[in-house]
Amino acid sequence: MLRWLARRIIAAALVVFVVTSLVFVVTHVFTDPATVSLPLEATEEHRADRRAALGIDRPLAVQYWDFVSGLVVGDLGESFWQDQPASKLVLERLPATLKLVAGATAVTVLLAAPMGMLAAWWERRFADHAVLGFSMASISAPPFWIGYLLIIVFAVQLGWVPTFGSRGFISLILPSFAIGLASAGRLAQMTRRGIVEELRKPYAVTALSRGFSRSYTIVHHTFRNVASGFVTMTGWELTRMFTGYTVVIEVVFAWPGVGRLAIHAIENRDLILVQAAVVVLATLVVVTNLLVDIARRMIDPRVELA
Amino acid sequence: MSTTNGNGRTERLLEVKDLTVGFPTRDGIVRGVDGLTLNVGSHERLGVVGESGSGKSVMGLAILGMVLPPGRIMGGSVRWRGEDVLDPAVANRVRGREIAMIFQDPMVSLNPLKTVGSQLRELLQRRVGLQGSKIKQRSLELLDMVGIANASERLRAYAYELSGGMRQRVMIATALACEPTLVIADEPTTGLDVTIQDQILTLLHDLSTELGMSVLMITHDLGVVAQFCDRVQVMYAGRIVERAPINEMFTDPQHPYSLGLLHSVPRVDRDDGELTGIPGEPLDRAQFPPGCAFEPRCNEASDGCRDTPPPLLKIAERRWVACYNRTPAGEAPA
Repeated sequence: MLRWLARRIIAAALVVFVVTSLVFVVTHVFTDPATVSLPLEATEEHRADRRAALGIDRPLAVQYWDFVSGLVVGDLGESFWQDQPASKLVLERLPATLKLVAGATAVTVLLAAPMGMLAAWWERRFADHAVLGFSMASISAPPFWIGYLLIIVFAVQLGWVPTFGSRGFISLILPSFAIGLASAGRLAQMTRRGIVEELRKPYAVTALSRGFSRSYTIVHHTFRNVASGFVTMTGWELTRMFTGYTVVIEVVFAWPGVGRLAIHAIENRDLILVQAAVVVLATLVVVTNLLVDIARRMIDPRVELA
Repeated sequence: MSTTNGNGRTERLLEVKDLTVGFPTRDGIVRGVDGLTLNVGSHERLGVVGESGSGKSVMGLAILGMVLPPGRIMGGSVRWRGEDVLDPAVANRVRGREIAMIFQDPMVSLNPLKTVGSQLRELLQRRVGLQGSKIKQRSLELLDMVGIANASERLRAYAYELSGGMRQRVMIATALACEPTLVIADEPTTGLDVTIQDQILTLLHDLSTELGMSVLMITHDLGVVAQFCDRVQVMYAGRIVERAPINEMFTDPQHPYSLGLLHSVPRVDRDDGELTGIPGEPLDRAQFPPGCAFEPRCNEASDGCRDTPPPLLKIAERRWVACYNRTPAGEAPA
């Protein structure tokens, strides 16, 4: 187990390295931070000056070496928009994003697992159709639209929660739902399908034939067997959240997270800061996958220690 | 081995009458079990034999009131000591506690993600009502009963860590956990090595004698029936076609299908020439002939067989057969 874990961590670190290198290729080979930061009509002299100031006039290999060695000590360059270290800016915003993702994940899991089990329990009955309806609606609706809808209903009309910003737990509720509902819809359907399938398997039939109730069998026998898939899917949803949903929803709710920082960096043509945000988010995705692998190993003893 | 456990007095435990299980298909409803009638008495080992697709397994579950969707029980009754098992409240009480099932493939019939110990524990806790240290004690006892050495170590094992024979022993232990009066064994030895098959059958036989349990043995294997049962019923296309004490079934089979089955089994005790199979294909259940279901494959069939299925009628003491060519005159419907 420990050797497996060590191997997984090394593999994850390698993936982070490759991904960040690809980011470097995009930001330094296809274009460069100096060009991006200047208006289109800037003169060649201007560009040269800016290049020299940012150190981009040096050979690519040297820049890459700088980038990589900086990465190791957590230095992601200077943001010229904010005139501060990019890593400091991103890390300041990171807790807000993590809180948002945690909230959205909680919504996802706490809605999807019971809804999936309920739908399977009442297979082809009203509750099943209701859960399916909810899933289709939440999957079809774009998160930003769900976000605005939630704001209009719960913040503007009912006034239960603030419309935007990050003021404690209460302001976390709406954005968490805006992100989590679609994920919950997908996961509930997957859970339902999994349980219905498992219920036909011999071990579930055996449990039922021993006199265990349908609900006991679902919760204690079949859900365990779909849990591995459930965790994997939750991991995918987390990936979607880090790379897409949080960015949109942080903008909708004026949430001070990494996603909104990245948007502002793009608006201000600060490629270094964008690069820093992408590196951090990509790292989070890789870490998520690592955690999913560990969780699956803990759920199912048969998962190969490969 | 096939002696009656005979302590004389037998009591009727299970009475299945006209049980019919239907599965909706594109071609209409297919009857997996069609008007099945059978009785199991106390201390009895009854065999139900038939080829795959004859409805044996569907029957086993249906006796507990269970049918995999989209199938459903369309008619008939199942009574356990006079109580209606198709009533969910009765079923809840009877399942596992009075009637326990053993399934064909113990690899997939045990929960792959639960240890042997936890599968026994949940039964003893929730179905028997044991608590605390008694659970562990009883678990060890059960594993010991089914001949598993290193019982305390095996409690921590998962199904995939055990051999096929060992898994089936665990399966039997979980069936015995609630001290059932009847065990329904659905092909319990299929897929196991021949030597292991024999061990498992002997184990089941000994346990049923020791614990005074009845066994309903569902199998395609006449050898298993010969070795294990007191009485046998032959099933074809969801119906019982013949019912006889074990010796008479082997010495004097009556139904043409039973005859065919016996002729397709190699015998070492007798040199009676070549093996013959049963002509034709196993029945396509969607194309149910209106008359005797075996008629298309039967070499004794005549026009009279094609209209209505023959009823199961008594031809001698403890002997029943459903065939127009065997039914005594006078009792046969016009």
